[in-house]
Amino acid sequence: MSLFSSSISLRKGVAITDDEFVQLRDFIYEKSGIFVDEKRKYLFESRFRKRLQELSLSSFGDYLKFLKFDSNRKEELVKLFELITTNETSFYRDIKQLDAFQANVLKEVIENIRKQGKSEMHIWSAGCSSGEEPYTLAILLYETLGMEAARWKIRITANDLSMAMIQKARDGLYNEYAMKTTPEQIQKKYFTMETGGWRIKPEVAKMVDFKLLNLNDALALKRVPRSHIVFCRNVIIYFDQDMKKKVINSYYDNLLDGGYLMLGHSESLHKITKAFKPVFYPGTIAYKKE
Amino acid sequence: MTKLRTDEIKTGMILSCDLRSRDGRLLLPCGMELEEKHIQLLDRMGVEEVDVVGPSVELDNGALQDIEDYVRDYFLYSNPDHPAVMELFRIALERTASRVAAGWTLPTVEERRAQTVDHLEDLFLKDMGGPEEIAKNETELESFPDIYFRIREVLDSPNVSADRLATVVSTDVGLSAKLLKLVNSPFYGFPSSIDSISRAIALVGGKELSTLALGISTINYFKDIPPELINMEMFWRHSISCGIFSKLIAEQQEGIQSERLFIAGLLHDVGRLIMFKKLPYASREAMLFARENSIPLYEAEISVIGYSHTAVSEVLLKAWKFPENLSEAIDHHHDPMVRPNPLEPAIVHLADNMANAVGVADGGMYAIPGIEDGAWELLGLSSEFLREILGKHDEQIEQILSAFF
Repeated sequence: MSLFSSSISLRKGVAITDDEFVQLRDFIYEKSGIFVDEKRKYLFESRFRKRLQELSLSSFGDYLKFLKFDSNRKEELVKLFELITTNETSFYRDIKQLDAFQANVLKEVIENIRKQGKSEMHIWSAGCSSGEEPYTLAILLYETLGMEAARWKIRITANDLSMAMIQKARDGLYNEYAMKTTPEQIQKKYFTMETGGWRIKPEVAKMVDFKLLNLNDALALKRVPRSHIVFCRNVIIYFDQDMKKKVINSYYDNLLDGGYLMLGHSESLHKITKAFKPVFYPGTIAYKKE
Repeated sequence: MTKLRTDEIKTGMILSCDLRSRDGRLLLPCGMELEEKHIQLLDRMGVEEVDVVGPSVELDNGALQDIEDYVRDYFLYSNPDHPAVMELFRIALERTASRVAAGWTLPTVEERRAQTVDHLEDLFLKDMGGPEEIAKNETELESFPDIYFRIREVLDSPNVSADRLATVVSTDVGLSAKLLKLVNSPFYGFPSSIDSISRAIALVGGKELSTLALGISTINYFKDIPPELINMEMFWRHSISCGIFSKLIAEQQEGIQSERLFIAGLLHDVGRLIMFKKLPYASREAMLFARENSIPLYEAEISVIGYSHTAVSEVLLKAWKFPENLSEAIDHHHDPMVRPNPLEPAIVHLADNMANAVGVADGGMYAIPGIEDGAWELLGLSSEFLREILGKHDEQIEQILSAFF
């Protein structure tokens, strides 16, 4: 005896036609560089279902018209980006990579800046989701520079395609899941416990500028200040080969000589570019602009 | 009847069958109402799961909605209008509801995300090792069970000699015991008990029994996978589930030896075990990617690692000189329709979907892979048939699981 009606169906909303799917996919690609495989057609159907209902639209064709021609299309694009981005992240994600980064890459970059008699550093966290990565980088800098940190001028530019994520990052309040890979002493030192979770301390938060940014917007990328280090983890996995090349090239242009690009655990520049020099460490590869 | 983890047991629940220790000793009898002291005993004895009935929880509309949302999440990737997918959805709904009614708590979103394995290091960095490199050490066969080769020899000979096979299998006490448990289980439903390998060969057939022996001897090879990487019990439960469904579906098709399909189902994910061994961190990344994008693990592996577990099994099984028709069904259970003879891979394909659907109510983690266009039509089954074999599956799974592990 079933508790559910025998007519309960899996389909909950209007179906997307093959033609509409291709149009929506192309639209998303054109606007964001994110490539959606055809296999994910049903996934997209359900992901957009609520949005179509909210807008009282009865087909994906109408939604496409709305996206392209409505007077609110700009605002709708923000919503669209929120629907197509994901946000799996945590503080200290991929500890082995971060250890290697801190002990080698960061140390070398700091030494070089010192040699030039300077104390300024810029890091770009491209695809920062809800802020865990750039805040982790800020903490790593505090830990590495120690007492010296106060004298340094450090800026971390952190970007994401989703406005909701940017707002969450600026808010700086996190749940246990975000903390799952964070060493305990770091958690105690750089966060304060509140009723809603753990809040990043203001001295860390003030190092990071969060800004909405579309990696497909070449002009906007050019406006990002030149960096010593670029972090772009688990982002290019969503791009096709062309878009990967475009984005990686813009990081190359953005990096100062001797700067480093860090990618996600399972990402590499293989088949994308030979411009960088790969430097191998246990658990990670750092890509150096020479 | 519902299977619950020991930490989910509450006082007042009633045992729905005798609870025995690993060595067969009766711990608590069927029908006993569990009190706090019993629960403590179970905990002390290291009992992991218990079959219980009630006290059943009334499911209000809110609870039913939560269950529906939970189950729906596993089906987002699949064609919602496909008759078989719809039936699997309903099956998963009912099973989940009956577990919740018996006191199971739905896992939270966070519990369903993969655990981190930050202390584990991959043996290969991205693009530094393809399926060949990953499978490489595994194909150096010195660590492989000797019995495997001897059975293969028997199987490769033009006429499988029953005597020869009986002699070979009987030298391995563990394997013989597993085979006898299997042929005595509802999996075969023979009326009287079978107490020797030669009797089993006479009843099941030489070729059939060799195939079973070959597949089962392979399992031992994977005993050393670190438990923190993957819940091996869940892994083999899914595998055996897929094996049983494969056999039951194969029985409907003409001219297919259903034992072979059982073994194909049992071993359909072996490539994944090798990936876990060699690429623990990347495998976990693939799991996270699968969860966050609501896609099946197979597709996540391709996105994150660059190739899937079936690409690994292809190399592995070839090196092990596995019977070709068996490898074919294993290596193509995700893309049966591209093959010249898609029937057997399509059987494992459907069985894998069913095993995943059944796994939703066991706290499974990943999206139902979905049924390839044409595969369902090729098999010529009805959705009622899926219900029918579900009952048979449930009768068999526990005994086979206990026969093997």
